[in-house]
Amino acid sequence: MDDSITFLHSSDWQLGMMRRFLGPDGQARWGQARLDAVARIGEVAAATGAAFVVVTGDVFEHNQVERQTILRACEALKRIPVPVVLLPGNHDALEPGSLWTSAQWQAHQPEQVTVLTGTEPLEIAPGVEIVGAPWRSRRPLSDPAAPGYADLTPAEPGTTRILLAHGQLTSLSGGMSDVPTIDQAALEAAVADGRLQYVGLGDRHSTTRVTDRIWFSGTQEVTSPEEDAPGNVLKVTVGAGEIEVEPVRVGAWHMVDHRVELFDEESLTALEDWFAELPEKERTYVRLAGDGSLALPLLSRLDAMIDAQGEVFASVERWAKFWTVRPAPDAADLDALQLSGPARAAMEELRQALAGGDEGAGAALSLMHRLARDAG
Amino acid sequence: MRLLSLALRDFRGVRDRIVRFPALGTTVVVGDNEVGKSSLVEAFGLVFDLPDDSKSTRIRDIQPVGQDVGPEVTVELTLGNRELSYTKRWLKNRSTELAVVEADGRRRSWTGREAHNEAERLFRQHVDPVLWQTLMVSQGQSLVLPTPADAEPLITAVTAESGTPVDGASMPLVTAVEHEYLRYWTRGGRATGDFARSEKAVATAELTAAQALKAMEEVQQDIRRAERLTLDLQDVTGRLTDHLTSVEELRERKKATDEILLRRDSVRHRAETARARLENHTRTRVERERLLDEAERFAKIDAELAERRSDAETVARTAVESVHAAEAALAEVVELKDARRTDVQEAERQVSELMDRAELDRLLGQQAELVDVRARIAAAGTVLDRIKVDDALVVALESARAEVVEARAALAAGVPEVSVRRLGAEPVELSGTGLDGGAREVPSELGFDESAEVLVSGELVVGVPGQVEVTVRAGGEAATLRSRVDEAVRREKDLLKKAGVKDVAAARELLRKADTATAELHEARRTERTLTTGGDPGERIAVLTARLGVGADDDVEAEEGGGKQPAVEGVPGQMSLFEEFASPHDTLDFEDFEVPVSAPDDLAGAQRALEEARDALAEVERLLGDAEFAAAQARKAADEDRSEAQQARARSELAGERLAAAVEALEAARDLLDDDAVSAAEAEATGEVEAVLEELAAVQEQADAAGADQIAGELTDALAVAARLQGERDTLRDALRTTEGRLEQSGRDGLATRRDLAELELAGVRAEHDSLQRRAEAARRVHETLSRHRAEAQTKYSEPLQSRIESLGRSVYGPSFRVWLDDDLAVAERELDGARLPVEALSTGAQEQLAIITRLAISHLVSTGESSVPVIFDDALGWSDKARLRDMGALLGRAGDHGQIIILTCMPDRYEYVPKATFIKLDA
Repeated sequence: MDDSITFLHSSDWQLGMMRRFLGPDGQARWGQARLDAVARIGEVAAATGAAFVVVTGDVFEHNQVERQTILRACEALKRIPVPVVLLPGNHDALEPGSLWTSAQWQAHQPEQVTVLTGTEPLEIAPGVEIVGAPWRSRRPLSDPAAPGYADLTPAEPGTTRILLAHGQLTSLSGGMSDVPTIDQAALEAAVADGRLQYVGLGDRHSTTRVTDRIWFSGTQEVTSPEEDAPGNVLKVTVGAGEIEVEPVRVGAWHMVDHRVELFDEESLTALEDWFAELPEKERTYVRLAGDGSLALPLLSRLDAMIDAQGEVFASVERWAKFWTVRPAPDAADLDALQLSGPARAAMEELRQALAGGDEGAGAALSLMHRLARDAG
Repeated sequence: MRLLSLALRDFRGVRDRIVRFPALGTTVVVGDNEVGKSSLVEAFGLVFDLPDDSKSTRIRDIQPVGQDVGPEVTVELTLGNRELSYTKRWLKNRSTELAVVEADGRRRSWTGREAHNEAERLFRQHVDPVLWQTLMVSQGQSLVLPTPADAEPLITAVTAESGTPVDGASMPLVTAVEHEYLRYWTRGGRATGDFARSEKAVATAELTAAQALKAMEEVQQDIRRAERLTLDLQDVTGRLTDHLTSVEELRERKKATDEILLRRDSVRHRAETARARLENHTRTRVERERLLDEAERFAKIDAELAERRSDAETVARTAVESVHAAEAALAEVVELKDARRTDVQEAERQVSELMDRAELDRLLGQQAELVDVRARIAAAGTVLDRIKVDDALVVALESARAEVVEARAALAAGVPEVSVRRLGAEPVELSGTGLDGGAREVPSELGFDESAEVLVSGELVVGVPGQVEVTVRAGGEAATLRSRVDEAVRREKDLLKKAGVKDVAAARELLRKADTATAELHEARRTERTLTTGGDPGERIAVLTARLGVGADDDVEAEEGGGKQPAVEGVPGQMSLFEEFASPHDTLDFEDFEVPVSAPDDLAGAQRALEEARDALAEVERLLGDAEFAAAQARKAADEDRSEAQQARARSELAGERLAAAVEALEAARDLLDDDAVSAAEAEATGEVEAVLEELAAVQEQADAAGADQIAGELTDALAVAARLQGERDTLRDALRTTEGRLEQSGRDGLATRRDLAELELAGVRAEHDSLQRRAEAARRVHETLSRHRAEAQTKYSEPLQSRIESLGRSVYGPSFRVWLDDDLAVAERELDGARLPVEALSTGAQEQLAIITRLAISHLVSTGESSVPVIFDDALGWSDKARLRDMGALLGRAGDHGQIIILTCMPDRYEYVPKATFIKLDA
């Protein structure tokens, strides 16, 4: 493509984000990974010859993140060798007390970085104009993208105009959004009549193509198992009448939901195999949903397995909401312990209580089973 | 286990010794102190506990003092079905050798550490440590009651006996459960250890998180506040700008209208001047009119007052005349009253005289009556003086009479009564003394056929002269009776003489007469007192006689003759003065005033005349009151009229003066300016004012058209609004700056990160705590459940042990012996002959016996199993008396039937009653 321009589109870095399920160690490594992914965007820019990088909102998790986060972000940004344009999103809105107007940011802001604080077009490169709709409040009263292009006339011939906006599209939010959404039809109309050549959107963490020229880049590093295609940066090339958008992976982490049904030794083995096959375990968070019931020895084995995998993986968690695996003690288990007298009677009592729906009895029974086994 | 032999070499004080024990039955090892009995027990423990290379002080202690030799122990025993021979030497030439002969005759041996390990393993496999500790009683421990609850073989045994399933694996589990429970809970059930710390950590993290969240919420509020402040500031700034523009417009308009206002002020000033002049002229005219009016009015008043003055003077004169008339009438009535008072006094004098006269008559009659009464008093007194008889005298007389009669009667009864009758012709002479013929005198001589009856109290001589003389003499008593009669007669005579009467009856008559005279005297005296009550009438008579003159009748005559009073003359002629005061029925009939000339003695007439005179006086006094009142009224009226006349004169004079002054003022004013000139000047001034006002109206119209009057106010208001808006803007700007400053600080503090971290921390400790809590609850549940089942089971186990202890004990204490076990299966209480006591309360001997019985019972229970161990007593029964020693000995002997009993003692006689015992004597 002649006269084309290539740039990178990223969003939702959310630097400073915490994840409870990762634990202190996992949290530290994952936090660093999100910065590393930013640095990798710089590598991608260098590799692809991108003219600049745009980040469409939520660079930071909060306006009140700690100083370390800001300074490390600045360091990561410095490693991007091309101009970078940042758009304030809902997490880091240009509200009073905003990070962007703080002395901390302004003292360390790298030279090639521009924060879009208004809607005036910015000529980032010859023939390339960036317009943005920064969030001025966490609770906008209308379409958060509209201020960016509402007053625009069609671009001059030969000028490529890029809109940076942040927010949910009505079609994708499922009507769940409690803030006004972006009017997709109006946006498409603006693209159609030549006012905008590309619309870079943020807020959705999964890389999502809305139309050829309207994209959510998604987050640079996964933040939740629910995300579809996170961990990418978009390489966008706009030419005369043409556009090419290509996701390039920069993320290193995985967050996985896994649902299992456990009822016998085989199902347990299958779960072990599933764990074994996962790659990059130290950078993977697994959230297990489970159902079924297991004999006491199997339950002990399951506990041990999850416990052990928790050490291997960044984190393995039973998904409390969807975890209903119960002990199923049968007489054979108890007989195998060769208990007699009061011990046997006590265990039998607990077993019957469990059968009667007493969840506490299940835990007690498992414990007693383990103690008896170990003592025997 | 059965102990077969123990060999010691260089062990404490023992040089070399071997002791063999029968596998079954009771063995008594006898030895003096210090020969090494206890060393046997000690050696058995050491050989299994410590390897040959042990450096334990327990080993050093067994080395004989001062000898560098290695202590050596060899023990032969059975464990299960094996036979063991186990030798160990410590310190010097250390060695361990174990030889085992299996039940099937296979023989194996080990040496060194392997031997030790194998021996230890076999021992642990076959010997329950609790049971071993329970049944091996070292020296001085014989009093300690065994607590064998956790001794497995015992549990097994009693379980077998009680029918409860065997609980072979429960002991390690119980320990493990206990251990697990104590990881989370104290025995009292409170959280402890990591679990308790985790609870505290959660509380701390919750607090931290809450604080961080609150700080962040404050930030959010600040953000919202700042957003709102920004909007408000924009709004106020916009309004201020708009407003300042309109202020400028107002200023321009004001400049334009100021000129009109200036002109209006000038015209207004002129108008005021003209109006002032007009007012001046008007005032002059009004003053003139007033003067005229005043002169006229005062003239009229003067005339009126002059007329009123002459009227008043006339009235005053008339009043003076009325006063004179009233006073004259009053003087006449006073005179009349004096005359009537004189009449009354005369009438009173006449009435008084008549009353005195009547009194005098009454007193004269009274005096005559008094003379008569006094004569009667004197007569009665004379009668009474003559009579000497009184009541007492009569009583004395009557008494004397009675005494005479009584004495005579006594004489008659007490002396001979002699009847003498003359029958013949011969005289019969009677003489003698003390003779009493009764009513008749004793005759000195009896006639024919005459008889005499004589009471003889002295001597009676009856003689017929010449023929016979009879002397009758009374006895001594008769003389006394005679004298009594004489005495009584003499006293009666004295009394009669004193009374001056003949006999008692006469005395009584006299007494009656005296009573009559006394009554009469009393009556006369009373009459006298009545007559003299008002004093002696003589005095009153003298007074009255003196008052009435020499001859009472003459005086009265003289008085009455001159008492005629002159009639009041001329009174009716004065009546005209009273006519207006008297009502018609008060009119006096002056004919009544003539005093009737009454008869001198007519008291009633005189009193009537007095009443009439008094009535007349009262009437005149009433007239006098009326006349005085009329005179006072007339005087008062005259005073008032005179005062009125004076006032009228004063007012009239004043009015005259004022009239003169008014006329003078009017004339003075007219001299300055006559009436017509005054009116003309006023009219001219009025015209001038009207012209100026017209001009003013025109200018005002111009000002109204330009809104000149409102503009200044509008401008002031607008400036005030501007100032207010500026103030508002400044306030908002300051508030915004403050809030932004705070937010800047919050950003620097990284409050959001802090909050996230705090929440993360909280979630972490909460998850950990939840996990711990689940485990703790599980541990508690297991512990509680197992403990409950164990307690139930132990209750069952205790029965066999209890019954075994009781059956053994009864052979010593008799059939009333009973015991109770606690949860650890230890004996807690003993009952004997119905007395139940806690073990601690028993005597030392009884406690020791009970401990031995309990051990024998345990041994008995486990003896059948492979787990049985020997019962070893290192001396015992030191506190038992002879009788008990016998029974206990029998018991120990019987115990040997089921197991191996080893007794170490230095007092073999304590055990002489043990039947079938094997005695082994240790020599020094």
